[in-house]
Order: sequence, then structure tokens, then C-alpha cells
Amino acid sequence: MIWIDPRTRVFLFLLVLATHVSVAQNVPEVKISISAKEKSLADVLEEIAQKSKSRFSYNPKRIQSDQTINYQATNKSVNEILVELGNQFDFQYSLVEGQIILKPVKKSEKSVGESIQNVTLSGFVKDASNGEGLIGPSVYIKALGVGTTTNAFGFFSLTIPKGNYEVFITFIGYKPFTKSIDLKTSIRENMLLEEEPQVLSEIIVMGAPAPVVEEIQVSKTNLRPRTVEERPALFGEMDVIKSLESVPGIKLQSDGSTFYSVRGGSRDQNLVLIDDSPIYNPSHMLGIFSTIIPDAITDINVYKGDMPASIGGRLSSVLDIHTKKGNDQYLQAWGSGGLVSTKLGVEGPIKKNVSSYLLTGRFSTMRWLFQNADENLKEFRFHDLTGKMNFRFNSKNRMFFSFYTGSDNYFSGNNGISWSNNAGTIRWNHLFSERLFLNTTVSASGYDYFLYTDVSKNQRWNSHINNFNLKTDFSYFIKPQNELTFGIGVNGYNFNPGNVQEGSSNTQISNQSIRNSVEFVLYGNHEVTLNKKWGIKYGVRLSSWTNIGEAFEFTFDKNHNAIDTLAYKAGEPYITFVKAEPRLTLHYLINEHSSLKASYSRNVQNAHLISNSISPFTSLDVWLPSSVNIKPQLSDQFTLGSYHQLAHSGFSLVAEAFYKKMYNQIDYETHAETLLNPFVESELRFGTAQAYGIEMQIKKDEGRLRGMIGYSYARAKRHFAELNQGKTYNAYSDRPNQINVTLSFDVSLRWTIGMNWNYLTGSPYSSPVSFYSYNGLEVPVYGQKNNDRLPDYHRLDAAATVKLNRNRESKFQHSLTMSIYNVYGRKNALYINYNKTELGSKDFKVPSNLLDGERAISQFYLFQFTPSVTYNFKWR
Amino acid sequence: MKNQILFLVLLSLLPFLFTGCEERIDIPLQSDVTNLLAVEGILTNENINHKIKIGFPYQSMNGTSTPVSGAMVTIQEDNSTPYTLTEFPVASGEYYTPVFRAVVGSVYTLKIQYQGKEYSAQDSSVPVEPLIELDYKRVNDEYELNLYPNGQSANYIGHHISWKNTPACSTTDGCDGRIVYYDLKTVDVNEIYKPDKADFLFPVGTTIVRKKHSASAAYRAFLRSVLSETEWHGGVFDVDRANATTNLSTGAIGFFAVTSVVSDTTIIVEKP
Repeated sequence: MIWIDPRTRVFLFLLVLATHVSVAQNVPEVKISISAKEKSLADVLEEIAQKSKSRFSYNPKRIQSDQTINYQATNKSVNEILVELGNQFDFQYSLVEGQIILKPVKKSEKSVGESIQNVTLSGFVKDASNGEGLIGPSVYIKALGVGTTTNAFGFFSLTIPKGNYEVFITFIGYKPFTKSIDLKTSIRENMLLEEEPQVLSEIIVMGAPAPVVEEIQVSKTNLRPRTVEERPALFGEMDVIKSLESVPGIKLQSDGSTFYSVRGGSRDQNLVLIDDSPIYNPSHMLGIFSTIIPDAITDINVYKGDMPASIGGRLSSVLDIHTKKGNDQYLQAWGSGGLVSTKLGVEGPIKKNVSSYLLTGRFSTMRWLFQNADENLKEFRFHDLTGKMNFRFNSKNRMFFSFYTGSDNYFSGNNGISWSNNAGTIRWNHLFSERLFLNTTVSASGYDYFLYTDVSKNQRWNSHINNFNLKTDFSYFIKPQNELTFGIGVNGYNFNPGNVQEGSSNTQISNQSIRNSVEFVLYGNHEVTLNKKWGIKYGVRLSSWTNIGEAFEFTFDKNHNAIDTLAYKAGEPYITFVKAEPRLTLHYLINEHSSLKASYSRNVQNAHLISNSISPFTSLDVWLPSSVNIKPQLSDQFTLGSYHQLAHSGFSLVAEAFYKKMYNQIDYETHAETLLNPFVESELRFGTAQAYGIEMQIKKDEGRLRGMIGYSYARAKRHFAELNQGKTYNAYSDRPNQINVTLSFDVSLRWTIGMNWNYLTGSPYSSPVSFYSYNGLEVPVYGQKNNDRLPDYHRLDAAATVKLNRNRESKFQHSLTMSIYNVYGRKNALYINYNKTELGSKDFKVPSNLLDGERAISQFYLFQFTPSVTYNFKWR
Repeated sequence: MKNQILFLVLLSLLPFLFTGCEERIDIPLQSDVTNLLAVEGILTNENINHKIKIGFPYQSMNGTSTPVSGAMVTIQEDNSTPYTLTEFPVASGEYYTPVFRAVVGSVYTLKIQYQGKEYSAQDSSVPVEPLIELDYKRVNDEYELNLYPNGQSANYIGHHISWKNTPACSTTDGCDGRIVYYDLKTVDVNEIYKPDKADFLFPVGTTIVRKKHSASAAYRAFLRSVLSETEWHGGVFDVDRANATTNLSTGAIGFFAVTSVVSDTTIIVEKP
């Protein structure tokens, strides 16, 4: 038997057709219907030929007729069909003696052709009830098999051939949206999505391919504010940072901590952005709660790698949070009252459909609870305040103003600590055209930390980091699934690594130099779907970091002794680091429900947290820039992922393997003095770190039962020539096994129950291998660094929320959430101590009398079985 | 409805019955036998036999060192003839100098020869500031020391407390105590938020002998690291654990210190 390949067969078939089938002269006007799903172009052309009784002639190699397509046309003329297909597959047709000749479009012809045939559909996708721009809905043209997702402002742009289309928009939590649009010219149209009412059935509507399968991005998790709200939370305080523990690869340090490690990185390698402003310490009550509550948030994305080129400055992760712009339809207020805080929020239109505002605050109410426990307690409070205003000047210009301020104050006796975060952002969105979107951001943020060593004399240690950012981002929607983003930015930083202030004046006793730095950033990123199977995303971020005087720096010899002082005049640039951060992601769509992705990215970090604390609580935060003694931290990360969506069930499955190598990592000389030490850089040691592992997650965002189940196995190692005798040791974040289960279930239209269970291998720590006595003290002797592990961590939380209204249409909606943190009362150790004596039941103290006192091994833990009740309301 | 409110109030208060605390945990130490020599030696400006104690680290908490006996121990003041120390009692690991006084400004060198290896260390003392009057307060029918920083230089004060000669002492044992107060003039957050110490109370008539020691820069660094691993450890702001620094050469740990001391004696009298 002679084997003829399919393309040749089609070609021969068409040639045969060409000789036997008569062609009517009015073929282009013949109206036919075509429905092709996962068919080759050759087959579709054959179907057209059959239905229109026409004949085709083309070279299969030049037209690439073997490519698989999805195409739908109902009662359209052959002309329309061939124009649409031609635009999609870069050919044009001509009629020669009754025969349809297909020819590939030459580049020069194509641009002309495109400008004639293609039009752009653009606009914003919004929540119909409040006008909030929705980030991430999939806008899909089924007939063409093309689509896009909205950007961070809800904007989309699709450049497609003229025609009549069904636009299909899907987004989790919203009803599927379809609209017929007759695209004769470019139009801008806003699409209003209605929220999906709660139903007690497992209806999953499948429209466009799942974003996790279709998008080229890897290592990104989208957390819906609703998911955060539904999680059982400590004291009922819903918390974005704590909810990150449900993401495989993100490991919270312990109970009561907002510190987290991502893929083996250090805690300072995570960037937290609220509307593009960095928040350096997102914690309240030393970390028991985070500053970020979901009430005012519209979108949360966490990137564990492959960060967008527009964002940079950290090695390990970006938590990118966008606040709501405010309801531009009607006035709305909400709030809640719990054991430790009260929250209130209000939003509404300044001018309906044009401008809006949002203001939300949280204030601690727990001082009275602790006052009796500690008579020396003077202050014990925290607060947050978030605000936003948005103005739409016309269809092309829009402005946003947002701010965040939060502070903590804890004073007991003559000591105290306080810190504050402040951030403000002004954003201008401008549409140059339907395909070119501009976002310009001016933002500033500051973080101050005070340690009061003598409250009576107002003597305090203060450190801060302030920054000012200006950046302009462009998004150019070349074609569907072909987007170019590029931008430029300048960032200014001011670092105070810690100086003493005394009295009412701000006079500083400076023994450490204030540092100023300026960073210029240029980036570009191109994301394109090459064909039905392959997509690519590539880009680069170029940064130039320069330190500017007035400043002084020390130089050190190889034994870390200071040997010289370098003084720089005001305004004098004295050291510059220019770095390129390339990134590349390849995407292969196996089918509509499965894809594979591979990614490489390099990241650079020039702001470094200097702290040898192993405490899970916010302690003294000192930030220093890359400089004479500190080189920029670098990381190279490789990721390989497999992404699936189970048809008709709403489940998505993600499995990723990663390898990350980090350079110029910082660790510390034993018992380093990091406070008020002018030679603090002499206490730093530099080395490398590596992390690798696999992460898996099953996720279901919609339906009666929702949740995530995740598992990861990952290792994190560090190597420093001057530490641990030059031997590699486990990083503090090396906790190989991680299991997360988060589930929510609608029992009825009024009752929702939820649970989460987390398991983590215990953190490494250094335990003594022996002891010796000195001056009556029992001094531990350590062997290898981090030779031991804390007991494994696991915890089950549960919550139930009941809507107190029977009428779901009522303007005043209120609910009660009852939650239990650590249901089975696991004692998860924060520390193991070897220096205390047991004076009574659970009363452990350091012995005073050195001639007495039998020391015991003790563990310190927080929050066993912790129930709480929170009342929530919403009024409109 | 009343019952529901009561239930909610009780539920709200429950957390405070179950929040964080500390308790004994039974986990094995990853003990390891080392051949390190643990040295505790202090020369002072007192004209006495100074003691250098040498032992091996012990593997379980509350243990005792195995003495290093039979070592050849010498101390040299600047470039003068070294003093040879005598082990007493035999096999105790405690070595005593002849009677002499360590002076400020001189450099003292300790040398230990043991099983074919030589270990050495150097230190010199800095002046000590005078003691201020002992401060104590009445707590019910007993007394407690008030301890706080004073002076400008790093120091520590050892308090030898004895109420053996008071009616409150019913036995000959257990009527002594030793408290050491460290004032290193450093700023460490783990010191500021160090864990609580057990109360130590004594009766009226107690005799307290105080000795205030100066600390050289190296000695201060050593004491700071020791305190980070002992008295300052276990608070909310712990630092990374690591071996205490040492001024001894490789293979030995501990510290050979030279300090200046001042001392006084106080008898506790009744206070309102």
C-alpha cells in the first residue's frame, strides 16, 4: 500500500475537485454554515468547498492547512468566511476562472490588509452592581477561538476581523456573560457582569479555557477576597497574609507570625504591594494579625516566581494587592465587631458612574483584655485606615488616589515598641487608542520602627525606610493573545539603619550613616500565542541602582575589621549596580483542558533586611541598600509546570517543579550586634542558597463546595564559607513536607461552614549537643547549625457563618461567624528552651539563684483551642 | 435569647483560657561527645590564689563537667616569668595560681598543655567603677534586691547571699544564694525583652557580699554571647543560636578573663 501523507491527500483531493466540480460565478455570495471544532484547516476548506459547491486551489505547505482550528459561522457568505479565516491564518483568496485560489499574505500586504479588515473591541469589564473594574475575567470570541483577560484595571482589548460575534465573558463568582456585537468599526464597550447568586447545586459553567491552563504565566496564585473571608481565622480576624499558608510553597513561620518564606527564600525577599506601594511590615500585634484585611480588596495575586517584568526588587515573591475603587452606583457601608478589633467601611459614588470613594478602618479594642493581666501595660493598640477615590474624567482618562496608614503601639513599664506603615498612590489611566493603554503611577511609602529603651526620657531607637516611586506602564494589545507591555520607572529610597533619638527633639545621635539610593528601571515584556499550541512570554527588566551621598561607608579587611572610612558629599553618586533580569516562559497547550509550561527568570534585590532574629514576631527591622559592602542579591529560578482543568467539574490541577539558586545571600556572624553598631556590615556573612521542590494543588473556586488541597515537597539549603565550618546547612525555611486543605461548603442558603488544615515539617533550629558551666550559667554548646527540628506543625481550624437575614434582598445584611482556631489544641512549638526552671504548673522562668534551680527543656506555644465570634454587617 | 448571649460571651472569653504558654517537653537532645576543653578562668586585682577551672562539656542538662586533670597550666603577665598553676584537690580540674594580683594594663596569657595539645588565651583588665549602695525592697516579710544599671562601663555584679546565721535558716543547706547582675551597656532586643527571672527572696539579717567586675571588650562580647544563650534566651525576640564566643585557641571554649573588682558587704536590715 502506498502511504500518502494527509496534506498531500488533501492537495490531491482538491485538485480532483478542481477538475470535476463546476463552480458558480457567484460563489463568494453563497451563504453557508460551518461548525469546526479541533479540525484541520484543510478539512474546513473541504467542508466549505462541499457546501458552496466550489473548488479550491492552494499549496498546503504555504497555507499550512494541517493546523488545527476552531471555527464557527452561521449563514455567512463564503466571502465573509474566507476573509475571517484569511485574517486568522494569513492568507487571501482570489477567484480565477471559477476557482478559489488561496495565497499566503505577504508581510507588506498583511499590514495593509489588517488595517482594512481588522477592528478593535475594547472596554472595561465591571461588576454590574457597583461599577468595580474586574481584574482577570476571560473575554473570549468563540467563533474565532481567541480571547484575552482584563488587566489590573479591568481593561481588555481584542483586535479581530470585522464581523458579527458572540462575546463570551467568564469570571469566578459572576454569571457567564454573552453579548452579540456587530463589529464593523472599532468600538469601546463596557461589559457589566452580574454576581452569581448563591445556589445549592454544583452547576459549573464552562466557557473559555481556564486561565490557569491558557495563560502563559507560571507560579501565580489568585486568591479571591471571598476565599480569604471564608477561611476560619484567629479571633475571627480575616487575614490576607495568613491565608497564604494555603498556597503550596509558601510557609508561614509559625502561629502568631506574618513572616513567610516562599520557595526557600528569606522573609525579606517577599514584596507586598498595595496599589503598587510597598508595605515593609504588614503586621499588627507583633504579627498575630496582618495589616491587610480583605474588605477593601478587589484582587490578590501572589507570584512565587516569574514575576511580571513591571514588578521587581525582591527575589522570592510578590503579593500584589489591588484595593477596590469604591462603589460608583450607590452608598454602601459595612463593618464587623470581634474580640480584638472593630472594622468599619463606607463607599459610594461622588458622582454616579463617574467617581467614587472608599474609606475603611480597623481599630483594636483589646487593651481592656490585657490590662488586668499586666499592670504595667500603658498602651496596647493598633489601627489601619485605607482610602481610595476614583475619577473618570472621560472615556479615555481616569484617576485613582489611594492611601494606607497603619500603626502599632505597645508600651509596658519603661519600655515600648511602635511601628507604622504609610503608603499613598496616585494613578492615571489613559487610553491612547483601543489598543494602547497607559498607567502612570506615583507612589510613596514609609516604614518607621521605634524601640523605646527609656520611655521616661523619651529615649528611643529608630529605623526607617522610605521610598518614592514614579513609573509609567504601557500595554499594547497587538492582537488577541499578543500583548506587549513596557515601561519605565524611577524609585528613590531613604534608609535609616537605626539611630538613637532622645527627648522631644528629633536630634539623632548618629553612629550609622543614613543612605539614599535612586533606581532607574526599564522593562519590556512580550506575551504572544504563536499558534494553537504554543505560546511564549519573554521580557527583561533593566535596573540601575545608585547610592548617593551624603553618606559614609566603612571598608573592612578580610577579618572584618574596619580599616577605612569613605565619606561622600551630598548629592555625590558613589556606587552603581546595573543588572538585567531576563525572563522566558514557554507554554504548550496540550488540549483545551491541559497545558505544560516552562519558565526561567532572574531577580535582583537591592534592599536588604538586616536581622539575626529568629523570632516569629516583628522585632527590630533594619533595612540597608546594596552598597560598598553588600552586593545585590540575585536569584535564578527554573520552573516546569503541568496545568489541567477537569471538564465540567470546576476543578483545576496545578503541579510545578522548581529549582532556585540564590546568590549574595546574607547571614550573620554568631551573636551579631545589629543594633547601634556602626560596623554592622562587619557582622554580615555572604553565601549562596538553593531551593528545589515540587508543588501540587487542586483548586475549586465555584460551586457549593469550594476549596484547595495542596502538597509540596521542597528543600532549602544555605552555604556560607565562614559559617558552620563552611558546611552546607538547612535554611530556617527548610520544611520539606507541606499539606494544606481549605474547604468551604454551603450547607444552606444561610449557613456556610469552612475548615482548613495545615501540616508542615518542623523548622530547623540549632539544639545543644552539650553544655558547660560558666559563672554559674549553663552554657549550651552547638554542633552543626540547624542540626535539629522543632516538632512538626499541624492545625485544624473550623468556622461557620450564618446569615441573620431571611430576606436576601434586604438592604441591611448581617451575619455571625463562629470560628475555632486549632480545633484539636495542637501545641505547636515556637521555641524550644533549655534555660528555664519550672516553678509551678506551666510557670517557667530563668533561675535567679545560680546555686539552685533544675533546668528543664520547655516549649513555648501560642493559641491552642481558640474560639471566637465575629458580627458582620453590610448596608446599602 | 439570653442564653444565646451568655453563650457568645463565654465563647468570647474562652481564648484566654487557652492561649500561649510554656510547658515541659520531652524531646531527646542530639548530644555529641566533643573533645573540647571548657575553660572558666578569672584573674582579678585581688591578692589571692586565682582559679582556672578546666573540664569537658557534659551531654545532659544540669550535669557536671568531667574534670580535665593533669594539665600543665601557666599564666604569664606580659613578658615576665610565667606562674605555674597547681591542681587542687587532685583530679578536680581546678588549678590555682600562687597568690598575686592582676593589674590594669598588663596582658595576661593563659597556656594549657593537655595530651600533647596546647591551648592559649589572652586578656587584660580595665578599671572598675565603684559600687553604689545596695538597693533592696520589702516583699511581705522578706526582701528582694533592686537591680539596675549604673556607671558607664560594662560590668557585672555577683551577689553572694547567705542567711545561715539568721533564725530563718532552719537547716544548714539551702540558706545561700548567688545572683549575678549583668550590665553590659549593649542594646539588644533579646535583652530588653528577656524572659522573666524567678523571684529570689531572703530574710532580714541576710548578709550580702557583692563583687563588681569590670569587663574588657572581649570579655563583654563573651558575656553578651553567653547571656544570649542563657538568661536572655526564651523571650519573644530570640536571636539565632550559636556558640558563645571565646578567647581560647581552637579546641577550647569558655573564657579566660582578667577583671578588676570592688566589693562590699551589706547586712539586710528591716525596712518598712
